[in-house]
Amino acid sequence: MTETRTASSPQVAPMAGSSGLVLEEAHKFRVHTRAYNDRAVFDAEMRNIFDRVWIFVGHTSEIPNPGDYKTSYIGMQPVIVVRADNGDVNVLVNRCVHRGAVVCRELRGNAQQFECPYHGWVYQNDGKLVAIPHAKEAGGYSEHFDKPAGLYKVPKVDMFRGLIFACMDPNVVPLDEFLGRAKLLLERRFNLSPSGEIVFRSRPFVSRYKGNWKFQAENIVDDYHFVFTHTAFIDLQAKYGDATGNFGLHPGGSASEMRKSRYRGNVWGVDQGHGILDAPALSPESFLNGRFGDYYKAIQDKVGAEEFKWVVGRGIGCIFPNLGIIHQQIRTWRPIAPDLTEVTIYPFELKGAPGEFNQGMLHAQERFYAPSGHGAPDDVEMFASNQHGLEGHAVDWLLLERGVDTDEKQPNGDYRGQPSSEACQRSYWRQWNRLMTKSAGA
Amino acid sequence: MAGDMNFTRENAECFLIEEAEMLDELRLEEWLKLFTSDGLYWIPIDETMSTNETVSIVRDDALRREERVFHLLKTRFPAQSPRSRTLHSISSVRVRPKVDGQVVVVSNQTIHEVRTGDYRQSGLGEMHTIVARMEHLLVLSSDGPKIVEKKVLLLDRDMPLGNLTFLI
Ligand code: FES
Ligand SMILES: [Fe+2]
Repeated sequence: MTETRTASSPQVAPMAGSSGLVLEEAHKFRVHTRAYNDRAVFDAEMRNIFDRVWIFVGHTSEIPNPGDYKTSYIGMQPVIVVRADNGDVNVLVNRCVHRGAVVCRELRGNAQQFECPYHGWVYQNDGKLVAIPHAKEAGGYSEHFDKPAGLYKVPKVDMFRGLIFACMDPNVVPLDEFLGRAKLLLERRFNLSPSGEIVFRSRPFVSRYKGNWKFQAENIVDDYHFVFTHTAFIDLQAKYGDATGNFGLHPGGSASEMRKSRYRGNVWGVDQGHGILDAPALSPESFLNGRFGDYYKAIQDKVGAEEFKWVVGRGIGCIFPNLGIIHQQIRTWRPIAPDLTEVTIYPFELKGAPGEFNQGMLHAQERFYAPSGHGAPDDVEMFASNQHGLEGHAVDWLLLERGVDTDEKQPNGDYRGQPSSEACQRSYWRQWNRLMTKSAGA
Repeated sequence: MAGDMNFTRENAECFLIEEAEMLDELRLEEWLKLFTSDGLYWIPIDETMSTNETVSIVRDDALRREERVFHLLKTRFPAQSPRSRTLHSISSVRVRPKVDGQVVVVSNQTIHEVRTGDYRQSGLGEMHTIVARMEHLLVLSSDGPKIVEKKVLLLDRDMPLGNLTFLI
């Protein structure tokens, strides 16, 4: 692997077994400014994190038929996620092996083959190189030509309940093992569909912010910020309740109720770097006796009364390094530069759920998460503001030690934190630190 | 029918200029009154899809419009603290008569937006340009034209968007 320049920073003395950018000692957990704003750290992240762990690249419902593709990213690496004629999903590096041009310029589509616009090399939709124009012309390729097989195929591709993950490292741990406790979270979210499946049909919300990509990772599982960053939204809830289409998404009509509904349940810092906030529903009856009672009843019959409380309960996750799930959406955050990030929010449908249910969820999320919505723009505003605050160098460290003394470490390495603690963020940074550290000696 | 024959391009331009001035001057309570009670303010991401199948950037009925205006005028939130200044420029106005006293007014609009406050800070003091084709479906009544639907087709509607927490 590449050398990383983090260890040779003039300002931060590396600690043994540490990138030097994450400080963990008794009662303390701190992250150095440079972890967010240093170009060298960013470049190292692309290799040491994005090349080594499973990265979400799409959902099977986006590419149901042979030849269907979508373009995606693994860190800075453009890829094409494409279903081959035999049904397999391949993840191909979107770069012509001749001289580097990007071979697919569309967001999504269907193609039998990809033709490079530069010199016309042609690749089958499984990546195989099938034509080199004018190969035998004078000045062309001789019989000694070491002809490439085709587009670089990302070595590992696997799926979990329709979520497609890819990994550049052929020796990565199995996807199941990587997901760990996050598997249960995803299962519960998706089990709200009678068939356990979700569908990406809606167009996503896409926004960019001038801040580091890890601010979004920290934020999606941050219960602490809600009543402050979203205080105006709480005013809206108090005034309008569910009348403008909240659809039960944000329970509570006052700051104290909202805080109560958030500061309860489990906070998991998962060893693999994930963060999870979950809690069973306080009154499952309200679902069974409500507008969609029959639908909920069928789900309860299927999963059992105990599990039903979790399926309709709270479940929010940050899956290391750049995938999130909250409400009825999958979210990704794509690093572009140390101070530039693109967030894509995919509101999904539950297959087999009543149309009005799925529509209600779409419009509730529109109200909060659109670029003109009453919630998400405030979050990204804070991320850009964080980044600006980091530009000076008078203060070195960011504090992520809220609740550190009440964390309970589990035998498997997961941490259970108290509600409102920063246990999720700590496990994220521990994993980040491990990956960024290993590379220094590798 | 007679009403829409009389609704000239000049009438349409006056209407759009007045609306734009209300938005730019934050006279938003007045702006609310431009709509019919079942009117829609719609900024799609993909106008070819049913709004039952996709989210939009904005899809406001009367109550959601009222909520949006309340949010802007009566609450404080990070994305509008400090606030945006906007300026609408309107061009290429054309009037397309429809039946039942309705007309569609199509215009090309450019909105310049800048956040106030400490202009040295990230996100503040930067001029943003929003470019849209707008379609105002108007019903012509005795007390003037009312908006049945305001559809805003942003040029970059299905691409990364910045802070749009103001009225377009
Ligand atoms: S770069 Fe693709 S054919 Fe030359
Ligand atoms: Fe938030």
